[in-house]
Amino acid sequence: MSDQRPDAHQRSRTIDFALKAYLLLGYAFVFAPIAASFVFSFNSDRFPSIPLGSFSMDWYRAVATDPLVWEGLRNTLLVGTVVAIISTALGFGAAYTDYRYKFFGKQAYMALALLPPTIPVVILGLAMLAFLSRVDLAGNAFAVIISHVVICAPFAMALTRLRLSQMDASLEAAAWNLGASEWAAMRHVIIPFTAPAILGALFITAAVSFDEFAVAWFVSGLNETLPVKVLGFLQGQVSPRINAIGTFVFVTSMTLVIVAQVLLTGRGAKTEKAALEEE
Amino acid sequence: MQRDTLVAFDGVIKRFGSFVAVQKLDFEIRKGEFLAIMGSSGCGKTTTLRMLAGLEAPSEGSIRLAGKPINDLPTWKRDTPMVWQSLALFPFLNVIENVEFALKMRGVGKTERRQRAEKWLDRMQISEFASRNVAQLSGGQRQRVALARSLVVEPEILLLDEPLSALDAALKVRMQTVLKTLQRETGITFVYVTHSQSEAFSMADRVIIMSRGKIEQIGTPQEIYRTPKTRFVADFLGSSNIFTGDVVHADAATIGLSTPSGTFRLNAAAGGAVKTGQQATITVLDTKPALSLDRPAEGRNMLRAKVIGEEFVGATATIYLETAGGQEIRVQKSHAELSDLPVDIGQELYVSWSQDDGHLVSAA
Amino acid sequence: MRRSVSLYGLTFSLPLLLWQLVFFVSPLCFLVALSFWTVKNFRMQPDFDTVNWVTMYGRSVFWMAYAKTMAMASFAAVLTSILAFPFSYAAAFKLSETARRWAVFLMVIPFFTSYLVRVYSWQIFLSDAGIINVMLGWVGLGPFHLLNTVGATMVGYLTLAFPLVVLLQMFSLVFVDRTLIEAAHNLRSGRIRTVFAVVIPSARVGLVIAALFCFILSFGDFVSPIYLGGGDPTTLSILITDTTKSGQQWPRAAVIAITMIITLLAVAFMAVRFAYKGRTK
Repeated sequence: MSDQRPDAHQRSRTIDFALKAYLLLGYAFVFAPIAASFVFSFNSDRFPSIPLGSFSMDWYRAVATDPLVWEGLRNTLLVGTVVAIISTALGFGAAYTDYRYKFFGKQAYMALALLPPTIPVVILGLAMLAFLSRVDLAGNAFAVIISHVVICAPFAMALTRLRLSQMDASLEAAAWNLGASEWAAMRHVIIPFTAPAILGALFITAAVSFDEFAVAWFVSGLNETLPVKVLGFLQGQVSPRINAIGTFVFVTSMTLVIVAQVLLTGRGAKTEKAALEEE
Repeated sequence: MQRDTLVAFDGVIKRFGSFVAVQKLDFEIRKGEFLAIMGSSGCGKTTTLRMLAGLEAPSEGSIRLAGKPINDLPTWKRDTPMVWQSLALFPFLNVIENVEFALKMRGVGKTERRQRAEKWLDRMQISEFASRNVAQLSGGQRQRVALARSLVVEPEILLLDEPLSALDAALKVRMQTVLKTLQRETGITFVYVTHSQSEAFSMADRVIIMSRGKIEQIGTPQEIYRTPKTRFVADFLGSSNIFTGDVVHADAATIGLSTPSGTFRLNAAAGGAVKTGQQATITVLDTKPALSLDRPAEGRNMLRAKVIGEEFVGATATIYLETAGGQEIRVQKSHAELSDLPVDIGQELYVSWSQDDGHLVSAA
Repeated sequence: MRRSVSLYGLTFSLPLLLWQLVFFVSPLCFLVALSFWTVKNFRMQPDFDTVNWVTMYGRSVFWMAYAKTMAMASFAAVLTSILAFPFSYAAAFKLSETARRWAVFLMVIPFFTSYLVRVYSWQIFLSDAGIINVMLGWVGLGPFHLLNTVGATMVGYLTLAFPLVVLLQMFSLVFVDRTLIEAAHNLRSGRIRTVFAVVIPSARVGLVIAALFCFILSFGDFVSPIYLGGGDPTTLSILITDTTKSGQQWPRAAVIAITMIITLLAVAFMAVRFAYKGRTK
């Protein structure tokens, strides 16, 4: 395909090469810290740098034997699961609303649904902590679940909405026309069609919650709210254990994301794609 | 309301905000007929169909199905299955599951609905694809699935929204035969919306022509073709020559119309009642006029025009001419009929037709 | 279809609305109220006093932080956009369909790593005995003081926003009408000039939105300024955390937070206006 482009005669080899080299540079910049973290999680030195020390699983051992870490992990998994379910449900509802209905104030509704990710975490954390303390909800898993759903629901909504826009515009009406009530059409048509997106949203919101949270939670292991946690973390409780935790979190999140990808491009969507390519 | 009326539209108006999509529809659909509703985009034909299906509610007026008003009945409670323009087949179900869907929604048991679905797959000759995913089928096969899916409940009426528009020409013709045969065999009333004149005229028993939310004419294809009631219809069909002018004489036998292209006579019986001095329009089907180099016999309507273009479709040729006054003329002839006539661009010819060939259109 | 409000419709539309109103809007509204509370003897009490606003706005520390944060976030937005553009351009125009999908996938991966961990990693690179200085030492250069500088903070901002900016830019570049580019070439516009005369204006909306997101992220971030910048200069986010740590001055922190939100909304509004100037959405 690349050489049948209409502007083939315009392309300069040098510029192309330079641009592709720049691509590699960009990826190097983005992945350098990730790769370094991975490598240094196996490095024995307390203050990592090059040349590398000896290969060591010490940091992983330290993390694995810390009861606070296990408690943190358990909390994180619990929170992640609950957040995933609630965010996906709320996001689905909002996406369907956007897809189907027009009403007065719809723009305000959409703004409200999509705004949270644009507010800086430090402000959101401050506001939530202050608000939830007044209603005595702060300092436990509930507070975290609440704040995470606020941040994650927009992602679930966006993903579901994207899938809905791929649906034949007459599909829902066709179901009604064949005798399905609104609820029946939702159950037998809309949900089966959006199933890949729902599944994807569950995994992605879980991954976001897991990540966003894991490191800070792990580092302190105490049952405190996120903003306070992070503040404490920044006061110097740093150690290379963070690399071990970071790598572990990364591997887990990537697994979740890859599973979501596989499901999204799974059975249904793949045959659709194949058929489109046939036509 | 006649005894064989299945659906009646009574004073139905549909507004979308300040836009009037459908203005005061009054018509009936007869049991067992193949009715086509035809018009260009925006004429209101699809809105009409959707109101019948329950996807839009009339702003005013009532729709009755088998005598009962259905205005307030939601889509899923009506028995008006539709075949969609995009077919709207469920991509996550295979062919037989698609066909069974309506039965499932009605609570029909597993074995029974499978049997009934299989029967219809067989009838539409797609049994071999029963367990395939719909995405793997060709356009024509998908059409058949869509038909089977709607007909499996054996309804009294089937709605079709331009279902053939996405098919290529050869397939379209084949599917038209399928549809026509199906309708004849099952006796189900078909209501078919299209913008294609050839589809409507080749399949329908009656045709409704709509424009800007109004019904222009209802009749059999023959009636409409031969005797278009309004100028719009004549124009829309595109197969007539249209002349507008003043009536110079009108008696029991003939009507004379004075137009910029000449004065023409037609039989009085071929139009409505007009009075001298009125403005009127007459149409002459493009297959009627004769073309000649020499002046035609007296008593024939005639004019002189210059050839400005030709178009060949299969075995017929359409010659386009223009008079000195700018009136466009079209004449359709077979290749055989044109063999002796010089019809190059710029050639001046006589166009003539007899009194019997003109038709008076009611309103200008 | 159904004009009236139905139970069915409400079941799907209400939950998120209620959740956001209660758990998003209310806390922010509470924040506004909080800014008018007073603090006596290290304890907060509900009040309607403008003392916090007056005090905070009267402090040069605040305005310094405001100016510095504004400057750094703006610079980050511009820098990231410029650095990301050749990357996005290459990905949008020079890669095959499959390669592009891989490019996008690779650029999505960073979203699933911890930003904190990546910043910590940069410490390893930038510290005085860190990877970069050691490598420079091999060729007889340095060591340079890289950590705890504004430059290091910028590296942090880049780590934060580069993937997002690239994806947003790519998304809008991919939709640039290729025939416009061909037409420009046909009219003897050179490659580089076409980029500036045709490609960038066509993708303007996406490019501006990408820069806006970078600005928002950088403006509110506190991890990079503290961790890589060493807390110098003091940004608004650092100011908030300092204010809350010392003497429970939550009302004053609220003042800073609200000022930040208003600034962000104003910038977003103007950016969107600029992006869509002269064209319909």
